[in-house]
Amino acid sequence: MNAVYDVVIIGGGMSGMMAAVTLAGKGRKVAVISKGDPVCCFSTGCIDLLATGGDPLEGIGTLPDNHPYHLVGKDAVAKALELFRGIMSEEGVPYVGDVHANRGVLTSLGRRKTTCLVPETMEFSDFDPDEYIHVISFHKMKDFYPQYITSRYPNAGHSIFDPGVITTPGIAEKFENRPFLESFLSWLGGLDIPEGRIALPAVLGKSLAGDVYREVSAGCGRKVFEIPTLPPSISGLRLFGGMKNALLRRGIDLYWGRGIYSVEKLGNRIEAVTLTSQGRATRVEGTAFILATGSFVSGGLQASMDTVTETIFDLSAYLPGGREGWFNDDFFAPGHEIEKAGIRVDASFRPVDTEIENLYVCGSILAFSEVMKYRCGHGMAIATGVAAAEACGGLAQ
Amino acid sequence: MIRTDVIIIGGGSTGCGIARDLALRGIPHCLIEKGDFAAGATGACHGLLHSGGRYAVNDPEAAAECIAENMILRKIGKKCVEQTGGLFVRLPGDSKRFRDTFLKKCEEVGIATEELSPSRALDLVPTLNPSLEEAIRVPDCSIDPFRLCMLNITSSQKRGGQILTHHKVTEIIKEHGRCVGVKAREEATSDCKEIRGKVIINATGAWGDQVAHLAGGSVPITLSKGSLVVTNHRITNMVINRLRPASDGDIVVPNEAVCLAGTTSIPVTDPDRIGVDPAEVDIIATQAQEMLPGFGATRLIRTYAGVRPLLKADGGDGRAISRGFRIIDHQDGLFSILGGKLTTYRLMAEQMTDRVMEVFGRKTRCRTAELSLEGQEELSGYPLSNRLKTLEGIVCECELVTADTVERVAGQVGARHIGDIQHRTRLGMGPCQGGFCTYRALGIMQEMGKMTPEESMRMLREFLQRRFKGIKPALWGDQLREEQLVEYIYLGILNMEQVQ
Amino acid sequence: MKFDFQHCIRCTVCVANCPVFKVNSAFPGPKQSGPDAQRFRSDDGASIDRWVRLCSQCKRCDVACPYGVHPAEIILREQTRYGAGHFRPLPYRLFANNYWLGMFNSLIAPLANILTPRGFVKRVLNVFGISTVTPFPPYRFHSMNRSWRWKGRRKSRKRVVFFYGCFINYNRPDIGRGVRNLLASLGVRVVIPRQVCCGLPALGNGDMETARKFARKNARILAGYIDKGYDVIYTCTSCGLSLTQDYPGILGVPDGKKISENSYNLHEYILKLMDEGYIDPAFAPLHRRVAYHIPCHLRALGIGYPAARLFERIPGLEVHILEDNCCGLAGSYGFKKKHEKTSAKLGADAARAIKATGPDALMSDCGACKMQLGYFSGIPALDPSEILRESLKPGGDT
Repeated sequence: MNAVYDVVIIGGGMSGMMAAVTLAGKGRKVAVISKGDPVCCFSTGCIDLLATGGDPLEGIGTLPDNHPYHLVGKDAVAKALELFRGIMSEEGVPYVGDVHANRGVLTSLGRRKTTCLVPETMEFSDFDPDEYIHVISFHKMKDFYPQYITSRYPNAGHSIFDPGVITTPGIAEKFENRPFLESFLSWLGGLDIPEGRIALPAVLGKSLAGDVYREVSAGCGRKVFEIPTLPPSISGLRLFGGMKNALLRRGIDLYWGRGIYSVEKLGNRIEAVTLTSQGRATRVEGTAFILATGSFVSGGLQASMDTVTETIFDLSAYLPGGREGWFNDDFFAPGHEIEKAGIRVDASFRPVDTEIENLYVCGSILAFSEVMKYRCGHGMAIATGVAAAEACGGLAQ
Repeated sequence: MIRTDVIIIGGGSTGCGIARDLALRGIPHCLIEKGDFAAGATGACHGLLHSGGRYAVNDPEAAAECIAENMILRKIGKKCVEQTGGLFVRLPGDSKRFRDTFLKKCEEVGIATEELSPSRALDLVPTLNPSLEEAIRVPDCSIDPFRLCMLNITSSQKRGGQILTHHKVTEIIKEHGRCVGVKAREEATSDCKEIRGKVIINATGAWGDQVAHLAGGSVPITLSKGSLVVTNHRITNMVINRLRPASDGDIVVPNEAVCLAGTTSIPVTDPDRIGVDPAEVDIIATQAQEMLPGFGATRLIRTYAGVRPLLKADGGDGRAISRGFRIIDHQDGLFSILGGKLTTYRLMAEQMTDRVMEVFGRKTRCRTAELSLEGQEELSGYPLSNRLKTLEGIVCECELVTADTVERVAGQVGARHIGDIQHRTRLGMGPCQGGFCTYRALGIMQEMGKMTPEESMRMLREFLQRRFKGIKPALWGDQLREEQLVEYIYLGILNMEQVQ
Repeated sequence: MKFDFQHCIRCTVCVANCPVFKVNSAFPGPKQSGPDAQRFRSDDGASIDRWVRLCSQCKRCDVACPYGVHPAEIILREQTRYGAGHFRPLPYRLFANNYWLGMFNSLIAPLANILTPRGFVKRVLNVFGISTVTPFPPYRFHSMNRSWRWKGRRKSRKRVVFFYGCFINYNRPDIGRGVRNLLASLGVRVVIPRQVCCGLPALGNGDMETARKFARKNARILAGYIDKGYDVIYTCTSCGLSLTQDYPGILGVPDGKKISENSYNLHEYILKLMDEGYIDPAFAPLHRRVAYHIPCHLRALGIGYPAARLFERIPGLEVHILEDNCCGLAGSYGFKKKHEKTSAKLGADAARAIKATGPDALMSDCGACKMQLGYFSGIPALDPSEILRESLKPGGDT
């Protein structure tokens, strides 16, 4: 079974999907191959640009020279994030935020997490410290302990609702059910909540989250905001689910749940990749290929006892020294050395140290991205995904 | 001020065993331990209830003690001893002469052996190296040292024994040249307590000399660090030993849902400052790989190190020294009990308690070998698959620990920190190493009112640091991916660094 | 393979995709039932995890997992181990032998169809643990088995044997004959071979032995044809999964790999013929709006949605693809009283999503999906081949 494309993107995470949308926008025929679902379950859904007290976009200038943001450039980063916002609005998951100023969302520990673009359902930055917060939790739902929040705010209250299920996917599913939503709203209305805000764990629906959120806000007449939860994170699922819909809407072919079995090269060009499937392999041909397979957690990079390898094309991966130095002794150190590992690329996002001509690389697989150190995860993925797509769009004419 | 008859310093297997024995013989006592139970060598050992095979050739006396105690412990601790059996595996190149001596000595000492052909051995343990020459089956067992200590303490508690964990002995009080009591400082509050007793037993293992010094005495021990690695799952269901003179990395023990592979032997001086070197991990992995070829590809989830307190001899690497134990009467009311190993803890406790009885002029005999360990009804026992009966109310999904168990143990004697709960329930000892469940367990304890949200946050932070120390030497492959995920959660979703 | 579960890092993406976990709090989810629990199981220990039967084997977790853990497979092995070690209640035995049940009902078809909707019959079935919420489909006397040895008249370069599966065999042989005629009209020589149940119902009901028996029999017959240059065509995506995944995999039948590599979904095959230039069909316009419910097992096959690609060529046809929901019937899973609530909840949710697209018909390759969604939505439930035939208008009787 043959399939021929202008660009084949390997990796269905944030960077791969943004690259796909960019290329489809240029009229290219695009395929996205993903070994499974991306890191949706442990994403808050927020887009981190750069952790800093000041202007995060300008803050890019303070990063080391080898950081992938420099390959994109500040203006392009801002444009990429705008593109992202537009896509998500279209999918019914609007984001608020400003690339020139970070904002906070409230975490389950009652602290603020600094981020840049925030789903509308989690907006918290205009909170007045004296404002009253009423935390709604769900009976027997694991991993959400309201006291962490109520103990930190002098003006806080707490109520428990019993949804009949105890898991985040179960509760989110229930919220998309009209009778359940109405019973919740009537319960909420019956509580005597002072003026202020209502906080809930992020379970107000999955694909219909926007509608559910608006109804709950309207129904109780207060500002409502969600708090990101531990896995499975529904807010993360909304983000990645919305992006996936955006790909489908643009007629991009998805080869989902298939890994890559082998790579075909002709001279210095990759001709095709073969996918695993039951029975026969599917051969996917492309003029250009984009590698967006992510870091260790996603399987794009693999660490053995003494080295790091790139798992699909066997590109040479930059390794920051021997295993003894990979991790700091302090778990909370701002970034461990191993975070620098990855694929080094040139200004056009093409991997250095390789003869291959038609391969581009983006996302957290890039060397020096140091996602945890700089808190730039999704932002970097979006920016480099778009930039790599722009770079390769010219080739795949 | 606490007044009692016997003060036991040290809550490892020896100390807990003595507490049980004293309790069964009706002697009031108080046990003081600076950490939680099994904080020393007991909690960092191989989890192996020796058949004695390992010592048969070089130390037949120790071997005889082992097999006798092995038989006793499996009888009195049915639900905390897993009768896995063990194999001594002879690979191509291993000395046949050693094998002959081994068999002869085992017979002399009374250790039942069975010679197995390679195919039979592979039937029993399919992951064995297929080119093995033969295997010899011995009655090794697997034991959880934390549970063992808790069960012994149960007997003490039931009969009025006083337990002070997280208390460090700072002074041994002497009056007219006799030891009459101790002062102990509570770790959390820095409160000082005074405990008075007629006999003081120093059962502090690697800290034995430090404690003896408090009374102006000393004990002849040498310290040897041993490191072990923990695999993600049971790659063998029987204990695997190498049939050759004892050396590094030649034992793999199935323990609960993991395997413990080790060990090494490195002389050290300070029992409080030890860590696992990456080089040790490499040695252990290489040796284990020879016996179990899949070991190299097996995910490791953690490493740990403990310090063996060995009776001093001149020279040697700590391995050739007898594992036999000794009781020292300092002639001033202080006794020190030294050496030994987990397998013979009960015998050590019996002999120590016999001495105490002599001091008090009492004749009550020891019954610890006859009576079953108390408190076993709460354990799910073996086989492991018993725990899969129902999965309701699970807090730790890796190790199947329920919320009920957490709440029960949180209320148990001496349970202070989240670490205590982890040792006693295995919460957080699985593949994610507490990544998810610790947050949950702390949340539960905080909701139970056992600690404030601030305290639980602090504990969570401490826990994450401590955990990381043990995992760091094993971070590659799947465990490195796991670690990245845990980072994304604690630093990403929860933003924990902002917690002071 | 044995220790694949060690790759699990608890990312919970399998859990987020599990339909049963979402609606039934008693099911611990694929992560706990699979890689987590596997650490406590040993091959020679007895299986006591009753709750493992709550898994419907929809395989969505396998598709979602990016690390090769295969939770569904781990759970399936445990289900068969549990089944082997325990007395299996009547519903499990009945549905494991769905082939014989169907054959019997097909023989007495008019009577069976009168009896099954009757109140007292339903009550009896309920007592034995069988759910009657989703109605049993009518049985047909002229099953596909009665077409054994039918060979298309044409001699052709393209030769196929049609593996039709129990649903088409006994309940919708009209679809089966339609497929046969369609392929024949495209110039393919079609043979209806002797065949028995693919074995998936037995496997899904914890009966490995029966599954293997069925599979071995089919494997012998199909391998014989493959050696003579035939390709195997299936329309039921669960049969397809069984042939391509389980035959070489968990069932381990001889020639399993050969069968796996030479079995094609009908629409996949038609696309292949078009790709090779063997056929260039003229698709007549169809002005319809259809909701295409993707069966869970089609997603698991890893062949994409070939029928959807064919429909792109039909002018005027509006197709809404719905791949996010499991219909809940999951073969015989929803026909057990124990799973009634789960099945009904999922069926209602999936039906709601279908109705929201305002279609005049719904399509699904899987017989169970057709039954379940047809009932819960009240919208006519078609096989994709029926739409295809409407557009291609081949000759031949139905």
